[in-house]
Amino acid sequence: MDSSPDQRRAVVIEDDPDIRGLLVLMLKKLDFEVTEASTGLDGIRAVRETHADLVTLDLNLPDIDGLEVCRRLREFSDAYIMMLTARAEEIDRLTGLDTGADDYINKPFSPKEIQARIKAMFRRSRASSSTAVEDELARAAEVQQSLLPKEAVMLDDYDVAGSFRPSRSVGGDFYDWYQTPDGLHVTFADAMGKGMGAALIAATVRAVMRSVASRAGIDSAFRAASATIAADLDQSDSFVTLFHARLNAATGKVSYIDAGHGLALHLRADGSVTRLAAAGPPVGAWSGQQWPASEVDLAPGDSLVVVSDGVLDAFQDLDEFTKHVEAAVRAQKTAELACQAVLDLAPADTAGDDVTALIVRRLDGSGELPEAASEAGELATASAAPSATPDGSDRQG
Amino acid sequence: MQFSYEVKDSYAEVKGSGRLNMVAAPKLREVVAEVVAAGSSKVVVNLEETVFMDSSGLGALIGCLKAARQAGGDLRISGVQPQVRMVLELTNMDRVLTSYPTAEAAFSDD
Repeated sequence: MDSSPDQRRAVVIEDDPDIRGLLVLMLKKLDFEVTEASTGLDGIRAVRETHADLVTLDLNLPDIDGLEVCRRLREFSDAYIMMLTARAEEIDRLTGLDTGADDYINKPFSPKEIQARIKAMFRRSRASSSTAVEDELARAAEVQQSLLPKEAVMLDDYDVAGSFRPSRSVGGDFYDWYQTPDGLHVTFADAMGKGMGAALIAATVRAVMRSVASRAGIDSAFRAASATIAADLDQSDSFVTLFHARLNAATGKVSYIDAGHGLALHLRADGSVTRLAAAGPPVGAWSGQQWPASEVDLAPGDSLVVVSDGVLDAFQDLDEFTKHVEAAVRAQKTAELACQAVLDLAPADTAGDDVTALIVRRLDGSGELPEAASEAGELATASAAPSATPDGSDRQG
Repeated sequence: MQFSYEVKDSYAEVKGSGRLNMVAAPKLREVVAEVVAAGSSKVVVNLEETVFMDSSGLGALIGCLKAARQAGGDLRISGVQPQVRMVLELTNMDRVLTSYPTAEAAFSDD
């Protein structure tokens, strides 16, 4: 992106890294050159230095509050200031005050709505470029990569891993996880289509799902999140398949909601396997849907395995898919190796779609996967080093 | 994937063979929009020869269904092949996109 005099500049002042990331992506998509700030003072400095045309401003910042930032910005800047707040009732109050802001947005927000408002404010022709398509694909790939969790899960008695192999055309897969006081939340999603459109939907889904993390029940959290996502997808004829689960680490109880994904497997230590059926269609596909939550108990030695349809495409039918995924997972000693083995089921050269796998494994007492180890007749010692090589099981493939 | 259509007495039949993916999806939308605009809002998409459908293809079918309903009609599918059926079932969209064994059967009970 060049810095011609016509280049529009934006500053995102937001302390939540997820929301900040989403805003940055949205503004880049609108061809803004974007500077990020996580505090009010950094934000003011950035607006001064970049001569920003647009500022998104969070009301609750760690240092000085958004109203004060706004007041100081107005001393030197005519930028269009969009204020974001998590409390809807606050918007009425703010509108009545002379804050200096131009617009107010409620969080969790609809990226579509924000984009529409910004476009309306900045009606100018977008620069066209012969390499626009490739640039966009490269940016989409970056976006997608940025959605994956950067921190490993450190949860006693559990082994959690995810693996993702993007396709060249950039699909809309991603997975996410974060630890909670009770255990862990995981999200696994696939946005329809390819390229920047799909990547941006994926980014939205990730941010919205994280925004409801603190809600007490998975049902109420999902209801709020799906309504926001569906509203955002409404005009685009697009949808997203979504698997969301909350694990109580102490009990092993997993509450989950599956919206049109249908590719989660419960592998039990006793050797049985159940596919967890979807509770409803993908989010955004059809209006007026509800997705009831279900529960599954992860006993010691059990695994929850979620796989993307890019892997399914390598098989004739669901039975074949289930059989091969199960064998691939059971043959590996760690969740990470198992994820890789699942991705390897989809040959790289024919995979036109992203392939993604996420595994939550509850360790049995020995810290070993019982099935593969006992079948191979080589019950290992309690120390399952992460670097352990896969055993010689021939169950795979 | 190329689509053709034929206007019958009580419905229009849209047919295509091959893979209903991101490349084919916009074409299907165009053909159905054309059919609906020409006055046939009862549409059967005959999937007898559609061997594969991805999420973009499913999105196109949903979009076409919305277009047909908005015009006061409906869109139904027929001759669904195994992979397509699997995608419809996995995503639960078989509840919304009603499938019939043949194109003739799709609107025969109306």
